[in-house]
Amino acid sequence: MPAPLLAPAFELSLSEVVREMLVRHPDALIVSTCGFTSRELFNAADRPENFYLVGSMGMSAPVALGLALARPERTVIALDGDGSLLMNLSVLPLVAASGTRLLHVVVDNGMHESTGGQSTVQRSDFVALALAAGYRSAVRVETAAELRAAELTEGPALLHALTGPRTDGPGRRVTHTPQEIVERVRTAANRPVN
Amino acid sequence: MHTTTVGSTTARDLLHSLVDHGYTLATGVPCSLLNGAFRLLEEPGDDARLAGLRYVPAPREDSAVGIASGAVVAGERAVVLMQNSGLGYCLNVITSFNLIYDVPVLLIVSWRGHDGNDAVEHDVIGAELLRLLDLFRLPHTVLDPADPAGSVSTAIDQMDKEQRCGVLIVREGI
Repeated sequence: MPAPLLAPAFELSLSEVVREMLVRHPDALIVSTCGFTSRELFNAADRPENFYLVGSMGMSAPVALGLALARPERTVIALDGDGSLLMNLSVLPLVAASGTRLLHVVVDNGMHESTGGQSTVQRSDFVALALAAGYRSAVRVETAAELRAAELTEGPALLHALTGPRTDGPGRRVTHTPQEIVERVRTAANRPVN
Repeated sequence: MHTTTVGSTTARDLLHSLVDHGYTLATGVPCSLLNGAFRLLEEPGDDARLAGLRYVPAPREDSAVGIASGAVVAGERAVVLMQNSGLGYCLNVITSFNLIYDVPVLLIVSWRGHDGNDAVEHDVIGAELLRLLDLFRLPHTVLDPADPAGSVSTAIDQMDKEQRCGVLIVREGI
């Protein structure tokens, strides 16, 4: 049995990963997994393109995939967590077979942080899992420099970011109603992209 | 035997009706009662009307509902085909996503165990299917094999009116 992955320096944070994605893909539709991840995205930049999941753990990638299938011209990001992806690993071959350009970002702090920091199964090699499932590219990053340098070619692609626990609070809860979120994303998804 | 020949008239009419209602995406997990529909989705052949209905096989029914929901959020029409056993997997997504965000997805659900004479694994869900749907106020219609288009229209009308996932129940194999 291979040794579990460790993040010795805990250099990266969820906030940095979210900010990097927003800078790289300002027009992307982003489906964020429930808990602190959706709150982080909301507080970083409350864009109409953000689909904040408040429940349905494990569903950020399938919902993002549905958006990507419906709007193949758009960049679609599934902002996932290690616990969420582990709950629904069968999504990997599903995304791989879809032929979409989905960017699957897995922010891996090795824990269920939103519920109090309980451990997930163990830190898993999501890069190897994604490539074995058929993703066209997958990259693991552990530092800010690696994050900035990460090259993700045509999707489906997976970015596995090893992060440490939060050092500050989780930020405000999403204030939009679920219906408002749907309406905003639908409008944004159907707006012409430059 | 629940299997039918590829492209049974009922299955073809059902799928044509979905296309006529603007459906562009079908996903799901197979059931022998829905074999004809799945075969047509996999192999539409030269049926031009089916060309616009993209089929995505899913590993599990809850992921299928997730995919369909993403497409509906984008403004498309999407349908999920599954056996009634798959509803169990879907309950979390339906109750914590579709019924919270008001994102209705059409579900075509086979009714294994409806008469108590099916394989034993279908006994429990088969006996309670309609009560399960009623519990979450999911509008449902039992497919009339003699009028698939009418049944599809009824199911979609109910779904649109209530803005909740609509369920078209398939009791006999198509």
